Amino acid sequence: MSEFLLLAIRPPSRGEVSPAGVARDLAAAAAWQEWLRRWGLLRSFGLPDGPAGGVRACLIVRASSPAAAGQLAAGWTGVSGCPVTVTELCAATAAGQGGSR
Amino acid sequence: MTRPGETQPTEESLTGLFQEEWPRLVSAGLRITGDLQAAEDVVQETLLTALDRWPLQGIPDSPGAWLMTACRNRARNAARDAGRERRALTSVQPAGAAQEPPDPDPAVIEDDQMRLIALCCHPALGTDAQIALTLRMVGGLSTEEIARGFHQPVTAIAQRIVRAKRTLRQHQAGLSDAGADLAGRLPAVLDVVYLIFNEGYLATGGQALTRGELAFEAYRLACLLTRLAPGLPEPWALLGLLSFQLSRWVTRTGPDGAILTLDAQDRARWNAGLIADGTAALGRARGHGQRGPLLLQAELAACHATAPTFEQTDWAAIVILYDELARIQDTPVVSLNRAVAVAMRDGPAAGIALLDPLTREPVLAGSHRVWAVRADLHRRAGDHARAADDYDRALHLVTNDAERRYLAAARSSLPHDQARQSGKD
Repeated sequence: MSEFLLLAIRPPSRGEVSPAGVARDLAAAAAWQEWLRRWGLLRSFGLPDGPAGGVRACLIVRASSPAAAGQLAAGWTGVSGCPVTVTELCAATAAGQGGSR
Repeated sequence: MTRPGETQPTEESLTGLFQEEWPRLVSAGLRITGDLQAAEDVVQETLLTALDRWPLQGIPDSPGAWLMTACRNRARNAARDAGRERRALTSVQPAGAAQEPPDPDPAVIEDDQMRLIALCCHPALGTDAQIALTLRMVGGLSTEEIARGFHQPVTAIAQRIVRAKRTLRQHQAGLSDAGADLAGRLPAVLDVVYLIFNEGYLATGGQALTRGELAFEAYRLACLLTRLAPGLPEPWALLGLLSFQLSRWVTRTGPDGAILTLDAQDRARWNAGLIADGTAALGRARGHGQRGPLLLQAELAACHATAPTFEQTDWAAIVILYDELARIQDTPVVSLNRAVAVAMRDGPAAGIALLDPLTREPVLAGSHRVWAVRADLHRRAGDHARAADDYDRALHLVTNDAERRYLAAARSSLPHDQARQSGKD
């Protein structure tokens, strides 16, 4: 297993926000991130203190390959609507280590 | 705080939370920035921040307080940035002039919500603009949701809201003057909420009879008004009226979407909780001794909602209430409804006699409703030729597909010979 940094960038124009829309997206995002945790794939996360070049959040995830990390990134894009970049951090992280922040 | 991994809040509970907080946040943002567009922007940013953080960090123990703090901080930053821009342009702003307002207490936040509603119903705005702005700024509905509710293009609603904000800016309208004229604007506020409800309860166009999102949004706004102005009778009367009407929501159409009139509805399926809420709200409204149009309409709705069967409806009491209503609101629509009640009390001929002059009323002649009612009374009186004529007129004017299907079915159920005879006239 390797660790990958997933970086979600806020799109230039998200469009209008409504309570119902945010609630729907938040529930979907919470469910997806809960799924990551349940499978021990979420190692850590980071959130910007303020506007930081449009960065919404970054996740450090465990995945078996760049392709698998890409699938996780696609899943995050699916629930957040944001483009997500993938960067491999290091290889050969022992399975079962960590799994929390 | 709800930690990640604990039971997550549902989409429904989050929607309720954000809908409840939205007008509080907009009014707090407006108080700090002084501009409706800037306030809307900071509220949107605040919700997006929650969207980023809450799934990872967990839901705060007091999500409303979290949102308010985040919103006010953003609004202060926005106001500071705007002030810096203004100072850069004019270079005459005295140092220290941009003072930050202190955190308001909860009562001020509640008052500001009421002022926000009054601001959205500013007299310089047309009714359509008041409705759109209220739904966006107070209800938090997106432009797309509003457009869908009213079957109008998104661009038309977007332009309406942009123009409304511009008009308010031109009039330098803000929370303070809205607060000063709160009592004066209350009738417009109530009208706007009732119009939103009516459009949801009986859609003027489209395939379905109803648009739930609009009707229930209006109900939510009426609840909000009673919370913000508990000492005034009219919001309670409106809430009572809407509660009684909504109690029949699920029984007004059959499984195929066909209209079910009052006599055909299954009263056992009426929502007893809403009827009880309506009765309680009506009691609060009655306590003030004033009998305005909304209270009388709520009384009328209560007569229907509390009748054990259609046959046991107290039509005599309903006629008396319409008489009282007509004395303070003598409109063709009230006369039309009164004619129906008279027909139910005294027979169809009595109703038809009252309807005939109403068919010449410009307000009603262009609507299908007066023709549909008269057609029904002619049918019940056995005059099928006249009934067919009036059904044809109604069918020509009706814009809602469910109503059209209902009228067409009623027309085709007339005895064939006489209806065809009418076609030759």
